[in-house]
Amino acid sequence: MDSVIIGNLIDLCAVLMLLTSVMAVATTRMRPLIQLFSLQSIFLALLAFIIASSSGSHHIYIMCVLTVVLKVIAMPKMLSYIMSKIHVDKEVELSIGIVGSLLLAGVMILLSYYITEPLIASVETVERSCIALSCSMLLIGLLMMCTRRKAITETVGLLMMENGLFLGALALSHGMPLIVELSAFFDVMVAIIIIGIFAYRINKSFNSVDTSFLRRLKE
Amino acid sequence: MNAALLALICWMSVSSAVCVLGRRSGYIDRIMPFCTMVQLVLAAVLCVPIIDGEVLDDGMFYMDGMSAVFMMLVAMVGAMASVYSMGYIGYESEEGEILTRDIGQYYALMMVFISVMMLTFTARSMAIVWLGIGATTLVSTFLVGFHTDEESTEAAWKYIILCSVGITIALAGYTLVYASTIGAVDSDASLDWPALMAAADSLDPALMKMAMVLIIVGFGTKVGFVPLHAWLPDAHSQAPSPVSGLLSAVLLNCAMYGILRFYSISELVNPGFASSLLLVFGIVSLVIAALFMVSSKDLKRMLAYSSIENMGLIAIGFGIGSPLAIAGAVLQIIAHSITKPILFFSAGNVIQAYGTRDMRRIHGLGRSMPFTSFMLSAGSLAIVGAPPFAVFVSEFTLLSASMDAGMTWLTILMVLALAIVFGGFTRNVFPMMIGACDREVHADERPSRYVPLAILFVTTLALGLFMPEQLKDCIIGIVHTIEGVAVW
Repeated sequence: MDSVIIGNLIDLCAVLMLLTSVMAVATTRMRPLIQLFSLQSIFLALLAFIIASSSGSHHIYIMCVLTVVLKVIAMPKMLSYIMSKIHVDKEVELSIGIVGSLLLAGVMILLSYYITEPLIASVETVERSCIALSCSMLLIGLLMMCTRRKAITETVGLLMMENGLFLGALALSHGMPLIVELSAFFDVMVAIIIIGIFAYRINKSFNSVDTSFLRRLKE
Repeated sequence: MNAALLALICWMSVSSAVCVLGRRSGYIDRIMPFCTMVQLVLAAVLCVPIIDGEVLDDGMFYMDGMSAVFMMLVAMVGAMASVYSMGYIGYESEEGEILTRDIGQYYALMMVFISVMMLTFTARSMAIVWLGIGATTLVSTFLVGFHTDEESTEAAWKYIILCSVGITIALAGYTLVYASTIGAVDSDASLDWPALMAAADSLDPALMKMAMVLIIVGFGTKVGFVPLHAWLPDAHSQAPSPVSGLLSAVLLNCAMYGILRFYSISELVNPGFASSLLLVFGIVSLVIAALFMVSSKDLKRMLAYSSIENMGLIAIGFGIGSPLAIAGAVLQIIAHSITKPILFFSAGNVIQAYGTRDMRRIHGLGRSMPFTSFMLSAGSLAIVGAPPFAVFVSEFTLLSASMDAGMTWLTILMVLALAIVFGGFTRNVFPMMIGACDREVHADERPSRYVPLAILFVTTLALGLFMPEQLKDCIIGIVHTIEGVAVW
């Protein structure tokens, strides 16, 4: 394939990933939120596939398969399972409204273009324009974790941060060494399981997964 | 492969497996401390030659003086914490606060936790160090949330969420480090620390700067730098006391170790960049934690803030960056790791006997629990840097290093902060010793509650009184390693 077309396809996937992040900020229901994460992971896998086939680095195929298996299928399934197990009400609660969150997300995107500017200048890969997008996704994920009050939505924020990170790794250096990628998958997988167990516990002892109940420990 | 390392790793795997599989056995509370004691001996066999100046460089393993010192601290505090657990957890189960089933789970998790921390220091690749630091969070979350009541669930939730975010941010830093090695380091060895040090001249400075910010913020979350410390006082105060001791004395070191390895690379690439970041975090942590310690009411929360304060001092040492300051910071790491468990363990004795953590409601310790009371006061004096304890030596070194570096303002600031810390301990801890005991105290007299305290106390006293020649050489070696002048 022509390298220009490949470049465009990669940019398209990355932009679609950012778009799902922004949509996730604007989502008020739990199930669509999990589906958005799944969709975002599909775009990540697609992007990894394009980079793998165009650059010929075979270990990226492994990452692509792992993304599909774990992030597109297993983790969303697990999150839905946790949700059904703890009978959480389906509404997402926000500590700042949707308009406010979207505005903040916009600020995050601008900010990440500003801070990644010197980086983009010093890297020569075709995918360098994705670096700013990846940084935005990291920041938006962080924003979601700060402004959402339910255990599950905080988790989705963490997962979306992780997706942004993988996008950044692909864009900067065609992925990380396999050992790092495997460790990262392992770490986040176990973290989600543990978070699930604790979400269940929070639900049992507070009768809600609203983490704003978690305000007992303070000075 | 090095026989001692092989033996240690085999022993760790076997004892972890035994503790996990045998968690339902009634003897688990004796098996596990035995395992950690043997682990301590094996670790000493492995580490003593390395502390003497050998470097273990073997396939995926790499250990120099720094890793050996960190590993010995984990092995020692781990063994003490597991012995102390016998009495602590035994008392809780007799009181009916925890189920017999949970006891096995506790010991199994603790065994795996200690082993993972020790393994982290053997790795050659920074990727494995990252995995190790991440894995310690995952294992210890259940130990923090062990009591399953509302408070400890909250603490465990904050702990895993914040540290997961931290570890993700650190991984973003790794991405940039890896990107900066393209063309400079062979891609198979790209995150190996010795390879990174050797190739430091050809790493991209712009990428490394950004990477360092992310790594210090990411791992700094786990070290407990203010303002990333929100999880720390909660987790330390809600965990069972032996676990608090482990978290404070050695878990924070693990994350600090991750920062230090990158710190030495970064100082070669961008001199002065990582050190000024650490200096800022250190000063903020020191001052804020000192202020919180004065106003604390909860005994273990105050000790947790004291850990933040000590981590701040360590960061300041590396922030000043002169050889003397780095030596002071390394000494501070050692001294803090040995002294802090004394405080957490004796706090555990007090809290179980009085049934409260509120320092204003505890009186007459001196009469009701003389030994614990002595340890708590000696430990408090030791941690605030009174002579003749080990922390005095390291804090004095740090202060004189900052004077030598021409940072008089910093010296004054540190002295002021340390004075506030001293005031905080005096105001909060010593009133507990005096007065009449106004309630029924169930002091537990098992030897496992006293022996670890006595051993740690003697160690911190001995290190304060005289410094073994071996350790001195080793610290000089570590300073050389961190400054990147050693042969690697």
